[in-house]
Amino acid sequence: MAPTTEPKQRSPSIVVQELTHEKIRFALLHTDTSVANALRRVIIAEVPTLAIDLVDVIENTSCLCDEFIAHRLGLIPLLSEKAVEMEFPYDYAGDDESVTDVHFELNTGICASAETVDVTSNDLVCYDPRVAPVNYHPGESIKGKGGAMEFEAQAAARGPDDGPDIPGVVIVKLRRGQQINMRCVARKGVGRDHAKWQPVATATYRFEPEITINEELMATLTEEEKMAFVESSPTALFRYDEATRRVVVDAPDQARSYGYDGECLKKAEELGKPGLVDIRAKEDAFHFTVESTGALRPEEIVVNALKVLERKMEVTRGELDILEREQDEQVAM
Amino acid sequence: MSVYEKTFTLKDEDHTMGNAIRYMLNKNPQVALAGYSVPHPMERSVNVRVQTTGEVTATAAMRDALLDIISVCDHVHDTFDLAIEEHGEKNATAMETDVAGKGGGSKKK
Repeated sequence: MAPTTEPKQRSPSIVVQELTHEKIRFALLHTDTSVANALRRVIIAEVPTLAIDLVDVIENTSCLCDEFIAHRLGLIPLLSEKAVEMEFPYDYAGDDESVTDVHFELNTGICASAETVDVTSNDLVCYDPRVAPVNYHPGESIKGKGGAMEFEAQAAARGPDDGPDIPGVVIVKLRRGQQINMRCVARKGVGRDHAKWQPVATATYRFEPEITINEELMATLTEEEKMAFVESSPTALFRYDEATRRVVVDAPDQARSYGYDGECLKKAEELGKPGLVDIRAKEDAFHFTVESTGALRPEEIVVNALKVLERKMEVTRGELDILEREQDEQVAM
Repeated sequence: MSVYEKTFTLKDEDHTMGNAIRYMLNKNPQVALAGYSVPHPMERSVNVRVQTTGEVTATAAMRDALLDIISVCDHVHDTFDLAIEEHGEKNATAMETDVAGKGGGSKKK
């Protein structure tokens, strides 16, 4: 294989700017849009997670119909670390249910409270200790009983979460005498089949702006004009340096949030100095923001996306080999 | 039909792969033409057209493109792991200095 591509495009670099348990910001440098876009698209549509996919309704006397509740159950994000070990139900031909299915139960019992009660994700009972709704605190459930402590301990071991202050995901509200009893099966899936399997709330990238100030032209502005120019941009792009009396580009970290609104360019024209600054998008620097739903850790999502992308290519290469062999055989005949 | 020009149909794929492969093919100077299209937005398939200059077969060019993307993925994976590690270390030291400077370390105007 001849090294046909420029080495630069082959070896992108990455700088992580922010990493919390639900969000990551990183810069992907020295690569092309096609690579950045493939990564973004795979993150959104092809990183597997778990979500409730089958619901058996045993009893439902609530105000919402069965399918409505089933849909809402599907949309609850579930901790999906286990997804990598599981199989897609449509790929798996074996008999071992445990590799495709994770069972849940939602049984509220007959509501005895005089006031309306929220049924939340905390009321789900999981049969697999590694799979639970995000921010799961079974102690907060309507029944608030047994098994709860065990899960709290596991949740704590998983890393920082936002504690019981974050309420569970509301599924339905019950009035006195109403009841819900359902059995749910969570399965592995990908976002392109249904948005409930998307691991992210948002996955975006933006191009890094390259800002150059025409110093010669800038020097012709009065102090007030310079100040007004600095003020004109809704994102803090520029700063007026008192000491040198010059307009300088503010911290590059700030400049990254530039929305390409062109306000400062308009201002430059208004001042009668078009071409005062030049802002263009760099074509090889991408600033990613990936915000997890909580199903997977954000860094895990990115790594899984890369693995998925790589596997895609490998599968296609395998197919290509088969194709070639078949053709060779045909020629031989 | 010559071995130097081919249209590959990738089933169950979309722009994600189509565009990445097209880009890598076009990077190859032995490829005369490379393009892709999605015949219908509701059908999950892409057509990738490859025509080479005659030095390599279309299939070989395709394989090279796939290998290139695999190596990019590998590289990004390693770089990402490293960047995460680096970020963790930087944060740890920043926290230490923050404590030492009584939280005044990260002051911003």
